[in-house]
Formats: sequence, C-alpha cells, structure tokens
Amino acid sequence: MMAAKPLLGKVLRPCSIALFETHISSKLFPISSVCVQQIREKSRSPKYVVRPTTRRPWHVRKWTTKQDASLTSENETFVQDVIKDQYLSPSPLKEGPWERNDFQNGTRRTGALALKLGVIKQWTNSGKSFYVTLLQILDNHVINYVPPAQYSAYPSHKPHHAERFGLQIVGALSCDPRQFSKAYNNLFVKAGVPPKRWLTRFLITPDAAVEPGTALSVNHFRVGDFVDVQSRSKDWGFQGVIKRWGMKGMPASHGVTKSHRKMGGTGGGGDKDGIWRGKRMPGVMGNRLSTQFGLKIWRINTKYNILYVTGPAVAGVPHTFCRVKDTVLPKKCLREDRSENVPMPTWFPEDLGDDPQPEEIFDKDLFQFTEPSLVEETES
Amino acid sequence: MATSLGLNALRLSLSVLRPSSCAVVPCQLTVAHKSHNATHVINYRRTRAEMAKAIRRKQNFLHFELVDKHRHSPLQTGTENISQETEVTAPRNYRYVMPEFMPRPDWERRDRVLEKLERRDMMRRRAIMNIPEFYVGSIMAVTVADAYAPSKKNRFVGICIDRGEYGLKAYFVLRNVVDGLGVEVMYEMYNPKVLSIEVLKLEKRLDDQLYYLRDALPEYSTFSFDMEPVQLPKGADVPLNTTKVKLKPTKEWECRWEAHDLQGVQPFEVNEKRMRRKEKSAEPWKKHDLMLDYRSRVPEEEEEQVMAEVFREKQVIDSQRKSMRTVLKKRK
Repeated sequence: MMAAKPLLGKVLRPCSIALFETHISSKLFPISSVCVQQIREKSRSPKYVVRPTTRRPWHVRKWTTKQDASLTSENETFVQDVIKDQYLSPSPLKEGPWERNDFQNGTRRTGALALKLGVIKQWTNSGKSFYVTLLQILDNHVINYVPPAQYSAYPSHKPHHAERFGLQIVGALSCDPRQFSKAYNNLFVKAGVPPKRWLTRFLITPDAAVEPGTALSVNHFRVGDFVDVQSRSKDWGFQGVIKRWGMKGMPASHGVTKSHRKMGGTGGGGDKDGIWRGKRMPGVMGNRLSTQFGLKIWRINTKYNILYVTGPAVAGVPHTFCRVKDTVLPKKCLREDRSENVPMPTWFPEDLGDDPQPEEIFDKDLFQFTEPSLVEETES
Repeated sequence: MATSLGLNALRLSLSVLRPSSCAVVPCQLTVAHKSHNATHVINYRRTRAEMAKAIRRKQNFLHFELVDKHRHSPLQTGTENISQETEVTAPRNYRYVMPEFMPRPDWERRDRVLEKLERRDMMRRRAIMNIPEFYVGSIMAVTVADAYAPSKKNRFVGICIDRGEYGLKAYFVLRNVVDGLGVEVMYEMYNPKVLSIEVLKLEKRLDDQLYYLRDALPEYSTFSFDMEPVQLPKGADVPLNTTKVKLKPTKEWECRWEAHDLQGVQPFEVNEKRMRRKEKSAEPWKKHDLMLDYRSRVPEEEEEQVMAEVFREKQVIDSQRKSMRTVLKKRK
C-alpha cells in the first residue's frame, strides 16, 4: 500500500480510489507492513535484526510431499529393506582413513549436534546441590568437509573466517530418504549415510578435519572439559511488553482505563525526540539463538551418549536441537599444556583398545550415588 | 480514456505487488554474491497472510514420541535404547507409596531416557540409605550432617506436613514446636548429606497438605524428640488418623482456610464478608473438567510400566539388605 498509494493518487480520480477501497481493495491491494525485530543492546551490530522468513538462496529445498500411492504393503517392506541394506552396510568405494594430527594450541575441533533432554539435580562431593542439563548426542555423522580455500568462495562465508577455518558439516537423526527432496538427498551421497533431519556446520581448523561418513559420539568430549552450547529459545509468538521486556504496566484501578498492560512513554522530546532505534516494544518473542559459554561436563553416559553439563540455562524446551562444541573462552578452552589426550580429530572405536568402555564417567568433584552419605568429620 | 488509464494503472500496480517481479526486488541475490553486511534484505511488501505466517509460533523442538521413534529406528546406530520389561507388576496403589518415581504429567517436558537415568540414580541412593514408606501426617526423624553442630550431626523430629516434586528434586517438610516456637524444615530426599530417615509413627491424615497446623493450637504439632517408634503389626494397612484439629480462635490466619475445603479441621465460623469472598473465588466446575484431570496425570499404562520397574528394583534392594542383616547377626 505504501508504494501503491502515490501511484493511485496520480493516475486515478478520487472517486475510483473510494470505489477500490470500499469494495475490492482488500483483494487487490493487500496491506503490507514492515516487521522489524527490536533488540536489547543498542551497541550491537547489526543495529536491528529482521527475522528472515525466506530460505537463503544457496539452501536446497528440504522436504517433499510426493508420495507413491500405488505402493502396496509388501513393496513397502521391500523398500524399507533396500534402504537398510544401502545405508547400514559399509560402502566398498569409501577411501581410506584420513591422517590424524596431534592437538596444538589454536586447533579448533568439530562440534556435535545434541538434543536437550531436560534438567535434573546433582550434588558435589561437598554436598552442594546444582542443576545439570542432559544433552543426548543421537545418531551424529559428519557429512562433509569444506577446506578454507573453497569456503572463501562461498556466498555465506564471514569476512576473515575463511583465512583460518574450513567447514565441517554435521547432521543428526537419520530419516527415510523418501520424505526429502532429491537435491537434499544428494548432499549425503558423498558421506554414504542416510539423510539427516538436521544439518549444521562448524568452523574448524584444517588439522582437525574429519572424514565424511564418520560417526560422532559422546566420547568426542571428555569429563571435566568445558563446552559452548547453542540452541533456540522457546517461541512465544507475538507478545506484549510485560511478558517480553518485563515492564510494569499500569495499575488495575484508580482511574486507569485501557492501559493496564501497555508500555508507558516512548522517549523524550526536543532534541531527543522520535522513537529511538532499539526501543523496547511488543513483538515476536523467543525462537532466537542463544549461546551458553563455558559449561562444564560433569558426567558422561557412553551407553546412551549423554552429556551432563552445568546449569539449567540451555535455552529451549526439551528436545530442542543444540550445537555443542569446545568452548572458546580463553581460560577454559583446550590447551596443549593442560589437556592431554584430546581425541583428535574425533574419537574412533579403535582408540578404545582392549579395555571395555565404562558405561558412566564421573568428574572427581561430583557425588556418585553409589558412594556412602557425606559425613562431616569431627575435630579431634 | 479514463477507464483504459485505470486498467493500465491496475496492471502496473498488480505487477508491483507480484513478489517474483524484477521491478520489486531491489537487489537480486545470486549465488556468487558476497554479503559483507550481515543484515537481511527487508521485504517491505509482505501481505497480511505472510505477516501472520512470519509471526506465528513455530515448533522449534521435536515431539517426544518422534524422538523415541528416531531412537528405535533401524537406521540409528551407536546409541542403545532403553528396555521395557513388564513381567513384574506392582500393587495397584504403589504410586502412592513412592510418588516421586512417577513421571511428570507435563508431556512437553517428558523424556523417557532422562526419566530412566534419574530413576536409576534414585535407586542407587536408596540402596545406600533406606528411605522408608511415609505419608503426609507421619511422624518422622531425620538426621543430617551439620558442620556447625558440636557432634557434626543434627536430628530433627516432626510431623510431615507436605511432600512434593518428582525425581531427584523430591522433598518433604517436617514441623514441630520447639520451646514454644514453631519450626519447619524442608529436607531433600536424595541429598547425600541426609544420613538417615526413620518413621516413628506411620499414619495418614485426611488432607494432602497440613499447612493449617501453623494456625492450629500448638499441641497438635508438638512432638517429643525422645519419641519411641511405634511398630505396626506385619501386613497391616497404613492407619488413617482422623483427628480434627482446632484452629486458633483469632481469624488472622496465614491463609483463608474456609476456602480450602479442609477435612481434618473442626468446623469454624467466619464472618459474612469472608463467606461471600469464598463463594466468589470458588471454582466448582474444576472437578467436572475431564481434560484438566487427564492432563494432570500420566497415562495408566505408562504408570504401570514405571511402577513395575520401580517395584522390581525395590525388591532387589530389600532382599540385599535382608541378607546383609542376617550376615551381621551371624557374626555377632
């Protein structure tokens, strides 16, 4: 309407404008408006964020609704057998394993995709209680590796990142390939794994590149190390200022009408007039990517591939996808001098040797429930 | 002339509104386009339907049944599944004996693997420290490690006025009147600093929560710390204590108890204003709300499965403890 209005005003007579607006205007000229997402910090860059509703042009279409209606139940079982045969047997065309480098300062390894399961309580050996979040690394495979030279030609690369980093594409949760488009299925041909429900990419240094088709498990991380966890917060939809920004609203009585849950003023006047960019207003709340930095791994379950990380603060409801990677905090990140035997580039079943894998690995400060109760020592 | 002009204008405006038209999109992104500016190109011409689609709530998580389907998928490798055996069946009312083992009724926050691992931790703790069967209204004694006590231990006796939460967060509240002062302590059941929990008198009361004892006469919540445990005959049901407590005559209570439909309280009178207020705040339709009832509990089959598993493991722990006791007796 904003662009169409001056055009109408120049060409059409006023009576025809009235005619359009009363009868068919809603069909011919849909009302368009701008959805500008406000953010909290004014100093951040970009200054304002527009929620992208369209896919990036370099993304392929993922889902397809095409179905073969003529498929009988016998054929259906046959097709499922074929799918299993194709993906569960190792491919003869697969090249040999890539060489494994040692960990050096500045090496950035790949991360993994995890499902947030929920929050439970644990205790330290001194009797202090705290919450841990359970993250399950379910059915992870490396899909692709893009070296820095190739990454620098990508339209999606960030400036200066491609000087140092390549891309590791990781996917989680295998699916039936028939529900995906052909272009999406083709992404997984090189790795020889079933198409995944979720794909993500990690920036890695070339010495930590993992061969496509490798499975990632919880052993990629170790107890006592620190990780960064990225996930999307719960989507609240369009919310008012009280829920979105915690504003106070106005009283329920004492002459207040129609503005019990409204925002107050929008700013000053004079030189500072106008509504400043970043003013807190109603809008779409949640569904934003949030990162928790430096969460400690307290406990690992190798049977169910579960990480127990510090705190209840990982965003999102249970069964949200999380990106888990080694932390970038300088005092907590992996270093040559303080972290030995880092699985490089990731953990392989051969690393296990002859010893059986323990089902659970605990941090030395964590209370294990098989231990006796904590007793205060008496002074002698 | 005027009509043809109008039609032309109509065509023009339609072409302007069509999103695929080249005239609309200010800069078309090609694959080789390098965007150093991270901001997205704003589409100023979104229709009302597109706007509604953009701001609607999106499901950015998976349903827990879909996650279970992925866990059991033949294409999934590397992660084991939880096994569900239902050979043993628990007694019908077993969920009232150990209610903290029940899964959360909120389906959005459920996860079967997390519940299983949490139950295993709880059972491990129960194998170390015995947590006996108790109910709201039982008289209990709890010993905890206390760094500031001279003997480094603290024993408290009181009546259980509340228990709650699921899993490792489970807690109960004890109340006693010590030297004329009411004392309430909340204990976490699985805290490793709790050294022992014993039930001195096992019984139930008429209500689920006994917070009204705060406003009752102090003799109802006064218990001696030297109380001897009362033994029940073997195989007997848990007795129901039907005492009706008398609330303090002053009406300055913590809560408007007249609105709470209390069973274990002697009848009392309040003024007309409070009665009117009670009627105003009453929600008599809630007991007929079938969906509310359905949402506040887990499905019955699921409950039986969980309780069967808990019952089986409890029996294993009890038999181990019994054999240990006989070994100790023989040594003596």
